[in-house]
Amino acid sequence: MANDPRRQQSRGAKSARSPWREQAESYLSHHRKVARDSAQKLWQSPIASMMTWTVMGVALALPVALMLLLASLEGVSAGWESSARVTAYLNDSVSIEEAQALQAEVADDSRVAEVELIDRDTALGEFRASSGLEDALDYLDENPLPHTLLVTPSESSRTADGVEMLLTVIEGLDGVERVQVDLGWLQRLNAMTDLLGRAVWALALLLAAAVVLVIGNTVRLSIENRRDEILVAKLVGGTDAFVRRPFLYTGAWFGLGGGIVAWILLQLSLWWLSGPVERLAGLYRSEFSLNGLSFDGALALIIAAMLLGWLGAWVAVKRHLDDIEPGEIAGG
Amino acid sequence: MIEFRQVTKRYDSDHTALRQVNFGLERGELAFLTGHSGAGKSTLLKLIMVMERPSAGEVIVGGQVLNTLPRRQVPYIRRHIGVVFQNHQLLFDRTVFDNVAMPLEVMGTPARDIGRRVRAALDKVGLLNKEKMNPLQLSGGEQQRVGIARAVVNKPPVLLADEPTGNLDPELSADIMRLFAEFSQVGVTVLIASHDIALINDLGRRTLTLEQGRLVSGVGAGGGGRG
Repeated sequence: MANDPRRQQSRGAKSARSPWREQAESYLSHHRKVARDSAQKLWQSPIASMMTWTVMGVALALPVALMLLLASLEGVSAGWESSARVTAYLNDSVSIEEAQALQAEVADDSRVAEVELIDRDTALGEFRASSGLEDALDYLDENPLPHTLLVTPSESSRTADGVEMLLTVIEGLDGVERVQVDLGWLQRLNAMTDLLGRAVWALALLLAAAVVLVIGNTVRLSIENRRDEILVAKLVGGTDAFVRRPFLYTGAWFGLGGGIVAWILLQLSLWWLSGPVERLAGLYRSEFSLNGLSFDGALALIIAAMLLGWLGAWVAVKRHLDDIEPGEIAGG
Repeated sequence: MIEFRQVTKRYDSDHTALRQVNFGLERGELAFLTGHSGAGKSTLLKLIMVMERPSAGEVIVGGQVLNTLPRRQVPYIRRHIGVVFQNHQLLFDRTVFDNVAMPLEVMGTPARDIGRRVRAALDKVGLLNKEKMNPLQLSGGEQQRVGIARAVVNKPPVLLADEPTGNLDPELSADIMRLFAEFSQVGVTVLIASHDIALINDLGRRTLTLEQGRLVSGVGAGGGGRG
């Protein structure tokens, strides 16, 4: 009788359908039932559940918000990197013909996409128009501005290192007085986003661990509350998997709620910040904008939250369920 | 169906619950297990349920030696053993029906079979009309009968009962005993732990008596305690 439990079970399921299918259907319907029951149990204590969801939501929203900020910052630096241009100011003594020769020489370099020559007269005209110093400029005897080459690096050289190399080459040319490129702040921004990136990951890991512990503790309490049920289930031959199942579903539902709360918090804070961010970016003439979570991102957030909840429940179940053995039911 | 071979159960170095217990129960046999409290009755039942493992000797149920049974196999053994407790171990957060359905649920019985079999078991103990009630609304005797329905709902070949009549008046106790006798008539091996000597003597069945962990009577198979 006890030798083959499976044969015993299939004997009980005599019908037109194959026992295998019957068994699989009953297994799935049991999963559905457990999933529904554990969701209902959460609804029955809405305030406690809401508090757990909120704790989880806050813990998840924080690192995700920082990651979004980081992604936005990286977008900014990428945008600027591609528009990085080297400005070469030529000696005062260089004539316009010599400047054109230099332009041709630089343009031959494979690392250069385009070279624009701004002669001193055009430069003065532009400066006069844009600076508002017209009157002051009239007092000057001669044009103080040199000819200028605007060098746009080719696609492959548009990195901080590539631009730096190009810079040294141009600097070495005869007739070039000074070369300027505003790379310093770009490198600093890159270094900062790198640092911030690592900090965010560390924070995310810590908060994920906190989420697992919070869910673990909540599930531990619900294990205590349902102690009798667990005892009886084990007594009548419930396997460990059977006894564990409702708690794992509870953990996953906590995760689902926490993920949704995190998403709501993120959307709310984006909405709250978007006005000021736009204004600030406008002042810097920057395209910078805070990007929210895409649909995929939101889905990933919720799935990750459910996995964390499941993991937390699993830790609690592993730790506490084995302690509950029916041996303690009957006295001496 | 149940066989004990030289079974000893030691809890600590100074507390030995069972000492070299030998006995066997055939299919369809009904026997009582008596002794003072602390004589080892519950320990003996726990060994059959694999809630405890023997320190020495062999416990065999349905041809399976339980000593070496891996932990994950234990649930499958328990599905073949129905148990009735003195305090019923019913769950008060669900209906009578759901209580009785638990052994079928853990086995993965299809839903429509569950309804049929739960009602058959409730009918057997005379509580078919109470299936939707909460066990708290029932009397002590009725609760005990729900416990019995749960123990037999999946038609186990072995039925154990630990002081099933402990809280009941003599008339209800006799009722319950009649139920157990009916089960043994259809081939279920029934072992009832009880210290209700009067009731046991009335029924005149085989009686295993434990005294300080030793089996002092009823060792021989079949009708050892008769008369």
